[in-house]
Amino acid sequence: MESLTKEKLKIENLCKTFEDGKGAVSSASFTVNNGEFLSILGPSGCGKTTILRMLIGLIPPTSGSIYKDGEDITHFPPSKRGMGIVFQNYALFNNMTVLENVEYALKVKKETKATARETALEYIEKMGLIEHKDKKPNELSGGQQQRVAIARTLVLKPDIILFDEPMSALDIATRLTLRAELKALQKEFAITMIYITHDQEEAFSMSDRIMVMDKSVIVQIGTPEEILSSPATEYVQSFVVDNLKAKVDALSKFVGLSHDSNKK
Amino acid sequence: MDAKAFSYLFSRSYFWPSVGNSVLSALVSTVISIAIAYLLAWSIHRTDIKGKAIWNVVLVLPMLIPSISHGTGLIMLFGNNGVITNLFHTTSSIYGFSGVVIGSVMYSFPVAFLMISDTLKYQDYAPYAAAKVLGIPPHRQFTGITAPYLKKPMISVLFAVFTMIITDYGVPLSVGGHFKTLPVILYEEAVGQLNYSVGSVVGLILLIPAVITFLFDLFNKDDSKSSTVSQEFVIEHKTRNSVIAYTTCIVVTLFTAMVFGVFYLQALTKHYPLDMRFSFDNFLKTFDKGGLEYLVNSLLISLFTAVVGVVVSFILAYLTAREKSRFAKVLHLMTITSLAIPGLVLGLSYVIVFKSTFFYGTIIILVMVNIVHFVASPYLMLYNAMGKINDNIEDVGSILGIPRMRIIGRVILPQCKFTILEAMSYFFVNSMMTISAVSFLAGLGNKPLALLINQFEAYSMVECAAVVAIMIFTVNFIVKCVVGIIKRRGEK
Repeated sequence: MESLTKEKLKIENLCKTFEDGKGAVSSASFTVNNGEFLSILGPSGCGKTTILRMLIGLIPPTSGSIYKDGEDITHFPPSKRGMGIVFQNYALFNNMTVLENVEYALKVKKETKATARETALEYIEKMGLIEHKDKKPNELSGGQQQRVAIARTLVLKPDIILFDEPMSALDIATRLTLRAELKALQKEFAITMIYITHDQEEAFSMSDRIMVMDKSVIVQIGTPEEILSSPATEYVQSFVVDNLKAKVDALSKFVGLSHDSNKK
Repeated sequence: MDAKAFSYLFSRSYFWPSVGNSVLSALVSTVISIAIAYLLAWSIHRTDIKGKAIWNVVLVLPMLIPSISHGTGLIMLFGNNGVITNLFHTTSSIYGFSGVVIGSVMYSFPVAFLMISDTLKYQDYAPYAAAKVLGIPPHRQFTGITAPYLKKPMISVLFAVFTMIITDYGVPLSVGGHFKTLPVILYEEAVGQLNYSVGSVVGLILLIPAVITFLFDLFNKDDSKSSTVSQEFVIEHKTRNSVIAYTTCIVVTLFTAMVFGVFYLQALTKHYPLDMRFSFDNFLKTFDKGGLEYLVNSLLISLFTAVVGVVVSFILAYLTAREKSRFAKVLHLMTITSLAIPGLVLGLSYVIVFKSTFFYGTIIILVMVNIVHFVASPYLMLYNAMGKINDNIEDVGSILGIPRMRIIGRVILPQCKFTILEAMSYFFVNSMMTISAVSFLAGLGNKPLALLINQFEAYSMVECAAVVAIMIFTVNFIVKCVVGIIKRRGEK
């Protein structure tokens, strides 16, 4: 973990304007460290997805630069950035089996069929999907589809994976399992992860650092502790801190009760 | 087209009566057609009658033959020398208004039936379940839930059927007699007397209902289908409903069977009604008059139209459904606009525009005009199918380094394969039976089979017209069956 302090990504004055103004980003500058788990937290339309899409190259920034390992990748095509992405709706190839989904990109990259299959199976195994390898996505649960999407991304060995609200369509139990799995993956592969969410609890339970956004602007970046102890603005106080506290208050009654009953 | 053509047309004694005839017969036919279609769709989707899979096939069979054949069928049944007329020794009154109405209903009700079926299929049961719990009586459920739900789609069906009927010349030409409608005048002026300028003026008039329909549809966006069905329809058994449903299906089927039956009767007897021995003479006679060559023409035209047409609609649909640019919206609107142009008008404009090109008089121009004429429906099928595929697929491709063409070929296309098949069969079947746009563009070398019916009718060779109808029906029926079998296998 000594590399954690090394800069993986450096974003300088990244801007994006749209005609309808929705999802714009104005002058975002931040860094992401090697092996870090960074959450981008904000309400819908605040520009967090736009940042993600610029990072991976799906939309060009209006101005600003993106550096990865010191190299300017602002104008690199998406496939040359060494990044992967997991979308909210997974975007799996529904006409292909799990195995085909995972190995397809490898095959296109002209790897031999045998090695492509071998690598794909290795990652499918790692994601605990081996008994589902010949199923089509619509035969899988949401959580399983999510794992296929992750395997499909991992197989190309990216050093950064982006997540675009990947858990909003899942039930709470699956979310909790997947959260733990993601953290474990991050450790195992030493991957930098950037995770978009509008769920404060999710951001606080997984992140090394959290970047709070509001209305196209980054309002605060810091560790969960820093944000809780010294929220930078009124907005962070109400949207993040107060919200979390309200949840904790609501739940603590019950937690307290169960503690009491355990004692007796 | 010029002022002279206008004044020529308006001064004809037949002009204004024909406007009246067109509007009157189209109105009456539309109402009857939709009433029958609604009853049928209701029978299939709201009652528990048996054999729905079979009814669904049988009830749309009239869609597989040209409109003009329905006129032929009526003449063979109820005409001066018709089977029914002879059987009951009555005199015939089928020529004119009643014939036009019955023929128009016959050829339009399956289309209306399919449209209404689609609407009923996607209706949510939840409001009815709620109404039941609240104890709201059935007639109030109809006025409160069913009627508001059906209003918009039914208006769309109404306009579509009305346009379809008022722009058709096949039925009134064959069974109208002295009861002339506007499309018949257009046909007679442009095809019969090569009087294109007068034809264009009539074409312009025929565009009016089509354009109104189109604009209305555009602003009457039916949002009922986009809502998701939260609860499947629960059908309770009611004896009264079953009786109504069976009666409707059986009566319609019998009438359809009569039309098709009389084709076979006339085609397969030596000389109806004088010599009732079984024979293939009429087939041989038809082949002798070029039936087989024209069949080959038709098969080639239909095949090319299906293949090229589906490629064109796939590309159009991909551009509009997956590449959401501003250009895409214009393209979308342009493509569905082709729905509004009646075949006769399209054909006439093709004559004027392409008359001096090298491919005029070849099957190329017929393939072209058919693609433009029929593209809207297959395009919409593919547009909807592609719209349902995940938005991020192309993004995933570009991130994983999979070229766009591979994503289209290996991911988008396989997920639309049944829609592609449907689209191809739509192009094929319609190209086999169309007599509208192609009637202006077909010469000796490229004449499609369906137009042979006009020729046979002109010479009162109805038995040969029946043979042609059977040939077209057989080809179309085989195509539909093949598509049905492939889809059924694929879905397993």
